Amino acid sequence: MNFTETLKLAIDAVMAHKLRSFLTLLGMIIGVTAFMVVLSILQGFNSYVDEKIAGIGSNSFTVMRFSMDDFKDTDTIAAAQRRNTDLTFEEMAFIREHAQLIGEIGAKAGNTSRDIKHGDETLTNVSISGAQPIIAEIDKLDIAEGRFFSNAENDNSARVIYIGMDVANKFFPRGDALGQEISISGIPYRVIGIQVAKGTVFGRPMDNFVMMPLKTFGAAFGGLTNSRAPTFSVTAKYPDRFDDAVEEVRTLLRIKRKIPFGEKDNFGIMTPDAITGLRDRIFGSIFIVVLAVPAIALIVGAIVVMNIMLVSVTERTKEIGIRMSLGARKSDVLRQFLFESTLLAVVGGVIGLIIAKLLGVIISQMMFQTVIPLWAAILAIVVSGGVGVLAGLYPAWKAAMLDPIEALRAD
Amino acid sequence: MYRFMEEENGLAVATKPAAEPDARSIISMRNIWKTYQMGTEQLHALRDVSFDVRKNEYVAIIGPSGSGKSTLMNLIGCLDSPTSGEYWINGHLVSEMEDDELARIRNKEIGFVFQTFNLLPRATALHNVELPLIYAGIRSAERQEKAQAALASVELGERSLHKPNELSGGQRQRVAIARALVNHPSILLADEPTGALDTKTSYEIMALFEKLHEEGNTIILVTHEPDIAERAHRVITIRDGLIESDERIKK
Repeated sequence: MNFTETLKLAIDAVMAHKLRSFLTLLGMIIGVTAFMVVLSILQGFNSYVDEKIAGIGSNSFTVMRFSMDDFKDTDTIAAAQRRNTDLTFEEMAFIREHAQLIGEIGAKAGNTSRDIKHGDETLTNVSISGAQPIIAEIDKLDIAEGRFFSNAENDNSARVIYIGMDVANKFFPRGDALGQEISISGIPYRVIGIQVAKGTVFGRPMDNFVMMPLKTFGAAFGGLTNSRAPTFSVTAKYPDRFDDAVEEVRTLLRIKRKIPFGEKDNFGIMTPDAITGLRDRIFGSIFIVVLAVPAIALIVGAIVVMNIMLVSVTERTKEIGIRMSLGARKSDVLRQFLFESTLLAVVGGVIGLIIAKLLGVIISQMMFQTVIPLWAAILAIVVSGGVGVLAGLYPAWKAAMLDPIEALRAD
Repeated sequence: MYRFMEEENGLAVATKPAAEPDARSIISMRNIWKTYQMGTEQLHALRDVSFDVRKNEYVAIIGPSGSGKSTLMNLIGCLDSPTSGEYWINGHLVSEMEDDELARIRNKEIGFVFQTFNLLPRATALHNVELPLIYAGIRSAERQEKAQAALASVELGERSLHKPNELSGGQRQRVAIARALVNHPSILLADEPTGALDTKTSYEIMALFEKLHEEGNTIILVTHEPDIAERAHRVITIRDGLIESDERIKK
């Protein structure tokens, strides 16, 4: 019996018991769906991060007090806290003066969280940060209305702010935010610019912030030290010599800080590669854990498929006897049932894939764009098929080994 | 025992020149024993049975239940192998064959007709008749043509797309006969073919067998009903695993 005949037979058998086939496949479907959803979220998150990095500029990097390696465990954090010192404006001036390979360098100081007010309205836990005017270029800020700070405003510690879209919409629903005042810790600030809405990432709003000139920030919140110490944002002058620019900045800072040769940096540099590297490390372990769930579902699914195939063989003993009397060989019978279980499992895989795709559409609308890579879709189908073959082997073998006389006698 | 292998019809056939059966025989049984081990007891279902069936004979095998008649039928139908002895069918030494070769013989040389028809309930009459052709590896178009022709020869050409439960008992048995004939087997092996039919339909089926015999088919009919057996041209009576009598009926 050839391939198409066997396949036709398998389709007939699966279609003859639609509900039973479906129920049999629930385990398989859940397994494949879980696998695909997890994968599509991870993939989606990966491309989201890549996109964000591209948006910030893969051409820029950040110098700060701690490196990512310092956060490995409490010991390294403690050691870094003893060794590493705050970055200073003197150091930034030194880098700017001596570096040949960098384009721009600017300072930011980071996030403190405050309640802010306009009239009777209050917004709680708004992220407040300070930035030098050049940051608008380095971070490629998308300005929706107004403008970013001028150098004069920074130098004079002017009380002006650049705000996120959520803040603008909350306080100024009529869209007349520019020129209005918002008070932070009792001091009023004038709105001069609004950023294009960025939406949310993992449910965290990205538009709930206030940015002010760096000097203003320092003056208002008690100096640019400790948690409010500046970090430097730097762009490479020549994109193809990005790594050289990073090395140059590192070397200059080591010279400035007089770190002896062979000793570790007492500062950190965060590059886009370091960010993606960190992401891969975090998601690598999550990936392994979440893969266990679909794997268990698949094993359960395989057992259910095997069980139903055993039932099917018993039910169709007479049919097997008839086929054998008409010239079916053991191998024909074996193939018939093996095809059936494989087809059944592949159908389960395809249904799982379709459900995962639908869930992906929903997730895309709620969080971020999810992607099911082609290789994963193919893998899911191949694995389902493999499960079907394994689950079908014993029942099919049982069917093939039936004695035709006994089988014909069955009811 | 010495023998050599030769290829014939794609089958490896073991031949033994010394005891070559009568060339005119379609079936040749030589000293066939079938023994079952029941615990410590040995049960001889067939004891030293030998007979020949020539081409275009119409033979009835009759005997009470427990006579070894069913065992003999299973052996003739190549569903089972003898414990000892030689069984030749159409030049093939079946008694020495492996399972897959037996399946080929069942497919090519034997057309089964069963008491309870044994049609696949979910398949159409046409598909049921196609089954032996599927296992013979014949392509779809040719298969359907042949199956349709076989159904037409039993006057069911119009009903080819009906399922068994949409057909009467007589019609079902005729579908089964069409299925048995579709591969042009050496013998038509019928096991109580009228056992599940009423008298009138039984006569119709027996008339059909008569017609098939006249057309040149070799028929072996297994039954326990003497009046059915008498329709054949030769009656072999089995009792206690032995051939009790083997008579030709004058017509």
